[in-house]
Amino acid sequence: MNTRSLRFQLVAWYAALLTGCFVLIGAASYAVLQSSLVGALRETQLRRARQIGQLLLDQTGSSGEARVGEEIQARYAPDINGRFVRITRGDGSLLYVSPAPNDQTFVPGEVPPPLWPSRAETASQVPLSGGRQMLLTVRELQTPGGARYLIETGAPMDDVQAHLRQWLGFLLVVLPIMAALALGGGSFLVKRALLPVDKIAASAQRISSQNLSERLPVARTGDELERLSIALNHMVQRLDEAFQYSRRFMADASHELRTPLTVLRGELESVIQEPALAPEWRERLGSALEEVERLAGIVEGLFAISRLDAGEAAAEWVKLDLARLAAATADQMSLLAEDKNIQVTCAAAEPVWVEGDQARLKQVVVNLLDNAIKYTLQGGAVALSVSALDSKAVLEVADNGIGIPAEALPRVFDRFFRVDKARSRELGGAGLGLSIVKSICTAHHGRIEATSPPGQGSRFRVELPLATPLTNSHQQHNHEH
Amino acid sequence: MRILLIEDEKKVADFVARGLRAERFAVDVAAEGPAALQMLAACAYDLIILDLMLPGLSGSEILKRIRRDRNEVPILILTARDAMAEKVAHFEAGADDYLTKPFAFAELLVRVKALLRRGPVNRASVLRVGDLELDRLTQQVRRAGKRIDLTAKEYGLLEYLVANPGRVFSRTMIIEHVWDQSFEGLTNIVDVYVRHLRAKVDDPFPTKLIHTVRGVGYSVDGGSEP
Repeated sequence: MNTRSLRFQLVAWYAALLTGCFVLIGAASYAVLQSSLVGALRETQLRRARQIGQLLLDQTGSSGEARVGEEIQARYAPDINGRFVRITRGDGSLLYVSPAPNDQTFVPGEVPPPLWPSRAETASQVPLSGGRQMLLTVRELQTPGGARYLIETGAPMDDVQAHLRQWLGFLLVVLPIMAALALGGGSFLVKRALLPVDKIAASAQRISSQNLSERLPVARTGDELERLSIALNHMVQRLDEAFQYSRRFMADASHELRTPLTVLRGELESVIQEPALAPEWRERLGSALEEVERLAGIVEGLFAISRLDAGEAAAEWVKLDLARLAAATADQMSLLAEDKNIQVTCAAAEPVWVEGDQARLKQVVVNLLDNAIKYTLQGGAVALSVSALDSKAVLEVADNGIGIPAEALPRVFDRFFRVDKARSRELGGAGLGLSIVKSICTAHHGRIEATSPPGQGSRFRVELPLATPLTNSHQQHNHEH
Repeated sequence: MRILLIEDEKKVADFVARGLRAERFAVDVAAEGPAALQMLAACAYDLIILDLMLPGLSGSEILKRIRRDRNEVPILILTARDAMAEKVAHFEAGADDYLTKPFAFAELLVRVKALLRRGPVNRASVLRVGDLELDRLTQQVRRAGKRIDLTAKEYGLLEYLVANPGRVFSRTMIIEHVWDQSFEGLTNIVDVYVRHLRAKVDDPFPTKLIHTVRGVGYSVDGGSEP
C-alpha cells in the first residue's frame, strides 16, 4: 500500500480522529458514570448517618445509649442490607457496630478504626480484603449534653465496581467496531471522492503530442475536481496551440526557404555548367552547391516531419507487405554494405501486412539500414528482420557496430541530435534521419525504440499495427505459399 | 520551341529563363495569372512551366482554365509543396509533370525536353558515348564491342548520365532520378554505385568516360573531348 497516497493519508487521519473521539467519549462516560454512582452511594450513606445521628440524639435524650443498637438493628437492619454501621464515643470506646452482613461481603472487624475527622462529615474509600473497597462516611455528632459521637456508615463498592466493569466491557467491545466502521466508511468516502482523480489521471495519461485535440472528461459536479479538470483542459488547449504554432512555424519556415534555395541551387548549377569556368572556381562553387543541397535536404526533412506530425499522411495509405518492402529496399542498398564489406542478412520470408504510406515506410527501412551501415565498422554485420508478433508487425535492424552510448539513447530520435557531431557531419548526416523515422512510425500508429547493450552494437525495433487480416490480397498471398 | 514560364519569383524566373534560352528555347515570362492568360491567348506555346504559388490567380486555377479551353499544351508544374495527394490532384487536373522546389535545373531541363519529345533527350534506342553503347530496349551495354553486365540500378545510373553527355549531374539529382524520394539525403549511395560502375565500364579500358566533378557530382564525356 502506498502510504504517501492521498487516499491512505485521508483514511488514516479520518479513522484516527474518529477513533480518538470515541476513546475520549468512552473515557468521559466512564468517569461520569463512576462519579455519579459513587456520589449516589455516598449520599445514601451520609443520609443514613444523619438519620442514625438523629436517632442517637433522640435516644440519648430519652432512654440513654443502651437501646441505640437495638433501634438501629430494628430500623435499618444493616446485616440484611449488607451495610456497615459503627458508633464510637468521644473517648474512643465503641457504642455500636453492626454485625457481619448476611451475604458475607465484608467482616466488620476489617474496617480500620475511626479517625476523628477534620470536618463534620467526610467520606472516603477504605480497602477491604481481596482488593475490594468500601465507601465509608463519617459524621461527627455532639449532643446538647456535650457528649461526642462518631457515626460511621459504610457500604461495599462491589455493585458500583460491577457496573463500571460492565460499562468498560461494553466500551471495549463497541470501540473497535466503531473504529472499523470509521475506517471502512472513510475509505469508501475517500475512494468515491478520489475516483474522478483516477479518471482524470488516466485520461491525462492518454493525451500526448499526437492527440492534443482530445480533452479530459469534465464531471459537472461543481466541486474542486471539476475546477481541476477544467483547468487541466485549459492547459492542454494552450499546449495544443503551442504545438500547432510550432508545427505551423516549421512548415511555413521550410516552405519559405524553398524559393531562395531554388534560386541558389539554380544559379550555382548554371555557373558550374559554364565550360569556361576555371577548375578551382568550379570546385569552390561545387562545394557551395553541396551545402545548398544539404540545406535543401534539411528543409525537406523538417517539412516532412511537420507534415507527418500534423497527421496529414493518411491520405496516401495502402495495404502493403512490409517484409517484401524491407527485402527489396535492403537489396537496393546492398552495394552500400558490400562497399564496407558488411554482411546484411534479411529475415523477412513471411509476408507481414501493414497499412501505410509505401514511400514513407520505405524511408524508415532506408534510414535505419543506412544508419546501421554508417555506424558499423568494416567487415561488420547488419541484421534486418520483419515478423508478425502479437498483432504487431515488428521490423528490427540490428548491427554489431559502434553502438550508442547509454546517455545518448533517449535522445537519438530528437531533431538535429547527433551522438558524435564531427563524425556524423563527415558522413553527411543532418541529424534528422531518425526523427523522420520516428515521426513516420508515430504517424502510422506505431512506435520505435532503440537499444544498445555496451559492446554489442545497436538495435532499432519498429512496431506497427498489423493490417486487418483476411483481405483478398492477404488470402491470395497465402494461397501462393 | 516556345516556352511560357509563369513564375512570380523574379530570381527563379531569371535563372530558369536564362538556362532555357542557353538551350536555345524561346522563353516568355509571366509574373502573374492574368498576364499569363493574355500571353496564352496571343501566342501558341509548346510548353508551359507553371508555378503554383502565384499572387492573385493561383497556379491551380490557371491550370484548370487552360485545360477548360481545350488547350493540350504540355504543362510542367513547379511547387514548393510536395504532398502526394496534391500531386495526384494536379495530375488529374491535367498537369503533365511535377517538380518540387528546390529543383535542379538539369532535372528541369530533362523533364522539359522529355515533354517536348525532342533533341538530346535522345529517344533513340541506342545511346553512344565514345566507344560505349547503351541499348535502351534490351538494356545491354557494350564497350568496344565487349558486353558489360550491369545490375538494374547500375544500368539506370549509366543511362541517366549517358543520355546527357557532357552535363554534370549532382548526387541529389542522381538520387532523385535513379532512386526515389525515400533515398533522399543518402548521397553516398551514388558514390558507391559510381565506383562499381567504373570498375565495370572504365577500369578495363584506357579511356575513362565517367568523370568526377569535384564538389559537384558526375558526368559522362566521350573520350575525344578533354
